[in-house]
Amino acid sequence: MAIRSPTFKESYYEDIKLFQTIWIKFWVAVLVLGLVLLPIIGDPYFVYLVNLSCIATVAALGLNILTGFTGQVSLGHAAFLAIGAYGSSIMALRFNTPFWVNLLFGGGAAAVAGAIVGIPCLRLKGLYLAMATMAFGVVVEYLVITWDGLTGGVRGMNMPKLAFAGYSLDTDEKMYVFLLVITGLMLAAAKNITRTRVGRAFVAIRDRDIAAETIGVNITYYKVLSFAISSFYAGVAGGMYSYTIGYIHPEHFTLLLSIQYIAMIIVGGMGSIVGTVFGAVFIVVIPEFIKLFAQGSAKLFPFMKDRYDEEWNIAFFGLLIMIFLIFEPGGLYSIWTRIKVSFKNWPFTY
Amino acid sequence: MKHLRFLAARLTFLFFLLASLAGAVLADERGVTNDSINIGLVLVKTGPVAALGLPNGQGMVDYMNYLNEQGGINGRKIEVIWEDDQFEAPKSVAAVKKLIHRDKVLTILTTGGTNQTIANMDNINRYQITNIPNALADEFFVPLQPYIFAMGATYEAQYQCIVDYIAEDLKMENPRIGVVYAKKEYGKKGLDTIKERAAKYNIPVVAELVLPTRAVDASSQVLTLQQQNANIVITCDVLPPVITFLKTAEKYKYEPVVFGFNWATDDMIVKACGDAAKNYIGVNFVGGWSDDTPGIQLVRGLQEKNKRDIGLTSLYINGVGVSWLFGEAMKRAGKDLNPDSLKSAMETLSNYETGGIFPPVNFSSESHAPAEMVKFFKADLTNKRLNAVTDWRKPKKMP
Repeated sequence: MAIRSPTFKESYYEDIKLFQTIWIKFWVAVLVLGLVLLPIIGDPYFVYLVNLSCIATVAALGLNILTGFTGQVSLGHAAFLAIGAYGSSIMALRFNTPFWVNLLFGGGAAAVAGAIVGIPCLRLKGLYLAMATMAFGVVVEYLVITWDGLTGGVRGMNMPKLAFAGYSLDTDEKMYVFLLVITGLMLAAAKNITRTRVGRAFVAIRDRDIAAETIGVNITYYKVLSFAISSFYAGVAGGMYSYTIGYIHPEHFTLLLSIQYIAMIIVGGMGSIVGTVFGAVFIVVIPEFIKLFAQGSAKLFPFMKDRYDEEWNIAFFGLLIMIFLIFEPGGLYSIWTRIKVSFKNWPFTY
Repeated sequence: MKHLRFLAARLTFLFFLLASLAGAVLADERGVTNDSINIGLVLVKTGPVAALGLPNGQGMVDYMNYLNEQGGINGRKIEVIWEDDQFEAPKSVAAVKKLIHRDKVLTILTTGGTNQTIANMDNINRYQITNIPNALADEFFVPLQPYIFAMGATYEAQYQCIVDYIAEDLKMENPRIGVVYAKKEYGKKGLDTIKERAAKYNIPVVAELVLPTRAVDASSQVLTLQQQNANIVITCDVLPPVITFLKTAEKYKYEPVVFGFNWATDDMIVKACGDAAKNYIGVNFVGGWSDDTPGIQLVRGLQEKNKRDIGLTSLYINGVGVSWLFGEAMKRAGKDLNPDSLKSAMETLSNYETGGIFPPVNFSSESHAPAEMVKFFKADLTNKRLNAVTDWRKPKKMP
């Protein structure tokens, strides 16, 4: 009698199923339970960091769709965040519309801007595309500063507190629930995009665009679509950001922020949804570990007292990107895969 | 090799799992014990504007240490926990949350500049953070913000004083004002105030030119001002671009009287520009380094004792002054020191003198507004200092 592997697949549908084994369902349930308990066991600062991680995850997902899945480099991601943040804030302040309308409007405005940027960028690749998207970032910053009647210019804009059915989400714990739900929806959507014809077209373009065209992928359409989807994610993240911080200013959306998102997807894993989450959380949370390390070492070595500052984080990010690019190009996702395999095969190595 | 990689992967996993749990552990009480007071400080330490935050924060820390040497506040020693926000509002918000929830500080001396303080407004009210912003926006005291105490004349008041000085002290024949400004909040406010005030004195504003904060050359601005025969230039920009402007003007042998506001009125301008600063007149709401007042003498003593290599002296003075006010308020709050009693004590500072560091301070439960007063300073090229040429003065009341 032949022994069939529990992960043996007989159809393509089975191969792309989200929950392929009972264990995946179990661990997802554990994760959801942990996330539900988190505001109870964690202090408000910890919850706030998780909130920031949610925003970073959604924004980095957008960039990973464009860069990791479609192979289009972008240094203008922060600009799309700005469009989303300002779009949401303007809707909330001027029209007093509900939050979901504001988030969709912010995302939609960013998506339209993304499509507009995507069209002239069709013929650009690599460094030239990076420069073009960076230039777009400069244009957006200029517009936000000079169009002060709409954006508040250099004074910035205050975002009203988020309210849901008359209930004000005025603490980090309440915001956590809101951000977690949005992040979950965006993650599910991203996972589904990558499992469909659209996702496969993106990957085909990334791997070899001429070959993709030969097999019938409409490169123009899919590249513009990738820009639009990526920007939509950035726009929604911008809206989430404005609700969380409560105040937006042109200086919040700089080139450095775009680079930070690139760091997230490199560290997490290009072209991986789970890797994006790892990368976003890692980059948001790692400064806390560096700080803990600095404080701990100050107890052992007094000369380390008060030595920690933000420059440590920047230096560490740079180091991390180098280390990952050289030693672990697959990012944290690749490490995660090895961990899973290690546990799965234990006590054997393979 | 493969074994090692799997081992490394497992250890990484374990490390982050344990570290995450450690991060979630709760801390205890907020700020005050029988023998200590924890105070927070959110101020830029690194990044492009670190030169502004460092001396300011060092002044605050040095004065608190000085109080500790005097026996502390009602027997309690002060510890300042300084978080770096790199002058970015999101980082400032995170730092405030960390200081309140993790370090449980009594209060935070400052949460940063204008953007950072506005972004933290909710936190300030929710956690009763009595603070003095490192910024001069009027929304911090109009309407009254219960926990924000504004220190330092607003940009509007400073530029009004400058135009008053031009009209009534400088008494130049046919004054023609050129304005050089940054596209920043202070720049735009400055420009609007100058135009409005100059119109009241019938002094023409002949040029309005943008000088970016990161400018390394001001040739086009200088040549335009020369062409417009502007004999007075008012800069609404921070120190580095003003230095650039003065040096460029010297290169073109253009010698107008140049005015600057508090962020550009520092001894550094004379040190950096030398002769090019000879026509520079600045205003500031803190005393000058060379002033012979008890407060400034203490400041000089603290700098010497702590061997501080201070770039911007005016900001060190400001830092000492801010801590001075908090120290006094904590003393007045007595043994029962908590966020609310600290705020109430701050409101009792009426006509309070800081030995010439600040103009007399007047806070009450109805008003946390600053004294809209400044001193004028001129360059002393020999000693490379800016010396005060006036006493504290307010903008003239005009119809």
